[in-house]
Amino acid sequence: MKRIASIALAALLVLLTACGAEAPAAQGFKPALDTKTACSLNVAGHYSNFEALEEEFNRFAEHYPNVELTYTYLDNYNKIIATTLESSDAPDIFFTYPWMATSEDGAAVLAKAEDLADEALKIDLSCIREGMLYEDAQGKVPMVPIYTTTYGMMVNEDLFKKENLSIPTTYSELLDVCEKLKSAGYPSPMMGYNSFLIYPMYFPYFCSQIKDDPDAVKALNDMAPGAGEYARGALELVDDFMSHGYIDLEMCNALENDYQDVIMRFFEGDVPMMLASGNTVSGTEKRESQSEAFTANPFTYSFHPVPCSDEGGYFMNTVSMSFSVNSGSENLDMANEFMRFLVSTEELNRMAQSKRMVTPCADMSLDAIYASFGDAKVLYTASLGLADAPDSQMRKAGRQVSNGLLTVDEAVAAFGTLE
Amino acid sequence: MNKKTIAVVNIVIMALILAFVGIYSHYRNEAVYRQQVESFLSTTVTLERVTENYLEGEQGICDVWARYLNAVPMTMEDAVDFVRTSSKGGDVSAHLIDAETLTGLSTQPSPGGGYDVSYKQISLFGSLDWIADGDASVNITRAYTNPVNGEQSLAFCSMIALRDGGGTRPAILMCVIPLAELGKKWVLPQEDFESAELSMIDAEGNYIIKGRTFKNSNFIEFYKSYNKTDAAGLKTLSETVTGGTGTFAMTDSRGDTVLVAHTPALSTRGWTLLSCVSDAALRGNTENWLLIGTVSAGLTLLFIIDLLYMLRMNRQLQFMTREAESANKAKTDFLSTMSHDIRTPMNAIIGLTTIAEKNLGDPASVSDNLRKISLASNHLLTLINDILDISKVESGKLTLSPLTFSIVETVENLVNISQPMVKEKNIDFNFRVSSMETEYLYADQLRLNQVYINILSNALKYTEPGGQVSVDLRQEPSDRPGCVRVTYVVADTGMGMSPEFMARMYQPFSRQTDSRVNTIQGTGLGLAITKQMVELMGGVIDCQSELGKGTTFTITLDIPAAERQPDDMRLEPMDVLLVDDDEVVLETGADALTSLGARAETAGSGLEAIGMIRHREESGSAYSVVILDWKMPGMDGVETVRRIRAEISRSVPILLISAYDWSDVEDEARDAGANGFISKPLFRSTLYEKINELLGLESGLKEQEDDYSDIAGMNILIAEDNDINWEIIHTILEMFGITTDRAANGRICVDMMAQAERGQYDLIFMDVQMPEMNGLDATRSIRALEDPWASSIPIIAMTADAFSENVAECMNAGMNGHIAKPIDIKLVVKEIRRIKEGSKQ
Repeated sequence: MKRIASIALAALLVLLTACGAEAPAAQGFKPALDTKTACSLNVAGHYSNFEALEEEFNRFAEHYPNVELTYTYLDNYNKIIATTLESSDAPDIFFTYPWMATSEDGAAVLAKAEDLADEALKIDLSCIREGMLYEDAQGKVPMVPIYTTTYGMMVNEDLFKKENLSIPTTYSELLDVCEKLKSAGYPSPMMGYNSFLIYPMYFPYFCSQIKDDPDAVKALNDMAPGAGEYARGALELVDDFMSHGYIDLEMCNALENDYQDVIMRFFEGDVPMMLASGNTVSGTEKRESQSEAFTANPFTYSFHPVPCSDEGGYFMNTVSMSFSVNSGSENLDMANEFMRFLVSTEELNRMAQSKRMVTPCADMSLDAIYASFGDAKVLYTASLGLADAPDSQMRKAGRQVSNGLLTVDEAVAAFGTLE
Repeated sequence: MNKKTIAVVNIVIMALILAFVGIYSHYRNEAVYRQQVESFLSTTVTLERVTENYLEGEQGICDVWARYLNAVPMTMEDAVDFVRTSSKGGDVSAHLIDAETLTGLSTQPSPGGGYDVSYKQISLFGSLDWIADGDASVNITRAYTNPVNGEQSLAFCSMIALRDGGGTRPAILMCVIPLAELGKKWVLPQEDFESAELSMIDAEGNYIIKGRTFKNSNFIEFYKSYNKTDAAGLKTLSETVTGGTGTFAMTDSRGDTVLVAHTPALSTRGWTLLSCVSDAALRGNTENWLLIGTVSAGLTLLFIIDLLYMLRMNRQLQFMTREAESANKAKTDFLSTMSHDIRTPMNAIIGLTTIAEKNLGDPASVSDNLRKISLASNHLLTLINDILDISKVESGKLTLSPLTFSIVETVENLVNISQPMVKEKNIDFNFRVSSMETEYLYADQLRLNQVYINILSNALKYTEPGGQVSVDLRQEPSDRPGCVRVTYVVADTGMGMSPEFMARMYQPFSRQTDSRVNTIQGTGLGLAITKQMVELMGGVIDCQSELGKGTTFTITLDIPAAERQPDDMRLEPMDVLLVDDDEVVLETGADALTSLGARAETAGSGLEAIGMIRHREESGSAYSVVILDWKMPGMDGVETVRRIRAEISRSVPILLISAYDWSDVEDEARDAGANGFISKPLFRSTLYEKINELLGLESGLKEQEDDYSDIAGMNILIAEDNDINWEIIHTILEMFGITTDRAANGRICVDMMAQAERGQYDLIFMDVQMPEMNGLDATRSIRALEDPWASSIPIIAMTADAFSENVAECMNAGMNGHIAKPIDIKLVVKEIRRIKEGSKQ
């Protein structure tokens, strides 16, 4: 009898141990609302797919199993979100961007946003990296960054090894490497989506030129006459690099977008360096299996700052996407509760890792693909105070100079009026 | 099969039953699951038809408007007004979009109030072939964000021609339906599948309509995101989903398994309707778990009950085994004891007989040896009688033979029997009798004696030398009419009994396990016989005992009072002084004397008695009799007698009281001047007889036992084949004046009876085991004789077959009584008297 009782007890203990083995996913988060609350939350954005957010939905459901969370892709998001927020389909949480803080359309959107700095909400904003959090004039925080991004170049390391080359860290080395690659038969040692082209090279350089010059920033934001002169150095860099013929514009023009096409072209395996943003990098892992070429001949690749001077490249960090809570949400408390859950180092880093984006958290946990950015000089665009308009003019100027449509002088002169 | 094996077998059986239930439930679940899957697929197919009808209906409305607009080309503004006004209530949402600029007008205003609408930034109309193709019955967009109101919507499209100057230009008529509105209608119609989600995808897997469970913008992408697969797997999936109707399982975004049913929808467009439901929702196995749980609980309960029952049975079996072993051991011990106890007196008998034969010339030696042989024989007979009694007890055939007897005789018998051991062990023995007013009782005196002797002899046997044994015998009124309640209490300071032994002390062959007890002879039958006899007499026996301190037995009997009582016992008027240190003796003795007509005075000591006697002598009214206790503290009885004779009177009659045999002190007492002795307890009859004897008066009582005149002259036929036995019985009966004839076997006995004259014999003593014809057959033959006198003559078995079944055989054969050999002459006389009394009636 004793033995039977012992076996039964042991089995019970094993069962209990097994039952208790699975710990809650987010142990640091303590629900503040009734966990039996049943409601629906809808997050609207412009990502056609958002698996990283779906994972967070599942983790949140461990605390609130009766809350149904969905993500909805909105067509023409930047234009339509203001309208959608007025409709019966208004989302509870929606994507917001830094440009919204400096544009009229964006102001209408942010006006609908809950102040996430409200102490009553108990959202831990301290986990966000300095310079990444936007505060309006009243000290309100209408949006919290979810992803940040940077600019750089994807490098096919296997090709570099094959050609016995090192990844360049200075502009001189870049020119040297491109020359050798060109000589080795690579028609376009560097590629990029034409509209974007060498923006990852010249824009960080441009920012580095004005980062300590508030007058320059003000003149650029005000589009003051002669403000184009502040862009001259960066445009000369564009002109210089393009003059060497290391970028085949025809090949670049074949890329119809800066995301899917750029990634799939890079995976063909014959492009040593592909200019891209962090947003583009975020789509690489998922598309490895979609590329027959990459599946047939996989290679090692990484993402690096573009060396724009002999001092090297920059880790130019800018907010990629933020979340805001619709203050008119029917389930406002639960929407805020979800944000309280999401805005934590653990969850935001998890989302960044999942999507191969750069986390907005102070405690950075970069994906391995971003490893080289750890040594680069950091430039926070938000701390520059540069408005969206001079940024837009800089893109247009750079594209037109790189495509040979304007000279540097013409672009400087037309700065502020470029279409 | 031991306990462990039974437990293992039970567990294996339970496991097999549970396994069977589990497997059965599993198969049942699978069958139910398959039915659910088929039902789900069937429901999906049905919904596809409903959906197709709905979509075709909506498309039909759009086409009707298109036909109107195409019949008479209008400007865009006119066309919008037409649609707005022709729709019921004007609440239809329609967009007219220029096919080239992808801009146009809406029938409903935007929140800002304008009607302009642009589809430039919405990837719906990269190609218009899917609308222009007249073969398609339904031209529906994917779910998209309505640029007018920002709501997720679907649009049914038709190509129209709008007037543009003198010509026309192509445009798209879009009938827009909010997804929220569609979602309310577009659900599976069965409650079982209310949690199911629906989607519709195109040939590439892009969602046309997307349920919430479906993630990503493309179903294939959704599958790939949460399920391990490769390019070949995705291709197979795509072919499966778009290839026809069926189901497959996959993992959703929560990691749960879901079942996806797919069926072609709007086949002309290559679309597929998908329905998705949680796999767990289809497995309605709650009842089965309930079944398994119930069976498990039931089996566990049965197992526990089984175990408990087995444990209880085992304990009972162990107890019974111990009891059987104990009984067996008791019987073995008993036989061993019997063997010893029988051989001991037999050894004495044989040995002393041998000695007597060798000393025939020395009459004193022969006489002494014969006396000892007699004692040994009596002891042997007692042992054998015990065996017979317990045999009768066990068979329940112990019967009583009541007759009138004197309780005084019983007490005297008890006192006499106890004296040897009292003296041997120097026991402080005290026998008190109180309120014994009814002397003659009607009961089986022999059995009563046996009961009283058993209890008293146990007390004496198990009391250490120097200990105390006291007996209290008293009479009280009884609840039963005509009876007196006789209470017999025997208390000793002996070794006592343990509670364990007391629980079984009335069982046959039980003796307490004690090193001191083992040295004491006993059969272990005495208490069993005693209790049976007490209960047979309607009495109660009670015992209080404490190990090491002593035992008190109390026997309470309601005994009928005999019709004959010594009411004529009256003493002449006289003064009697009773002297004893025991107040109870003084009180009961004084009562007895008073009831006899004497005037009784009492004194508590010898010294007080001397004073009282002196006072009487001096006043000239001397006591007629002085009765003195022998043992008193201070001055004992003998010394008191000596002083009375020396100091007061030499003539006053003095009786010495003793509970013991006075032979040791007789000479000393007589020398001191005592005139006689009287034994405790002081019965009326004893006092009456002794006082009369002392004063030279005639006693009215006669000893019945010494008078055998009532049976003298009887003639008895004795059937006995053994010459010695014949000689013994013949000689003994001759001593009582009874004549006898011998029949050497049963056959001769029958012949003698057949030839006997009427009244020639008063009864027959019949041996059982005889040559030629045994006693039983002879009895049956006699009972079959024609002569009524001969066939009804009393026949008493006189046999060594002494067990109860032997007695029963004799009775069944037609005998009237049974006397066991060796014969007890008193029993023989008793039987003869019983027969004679019976013949008188």
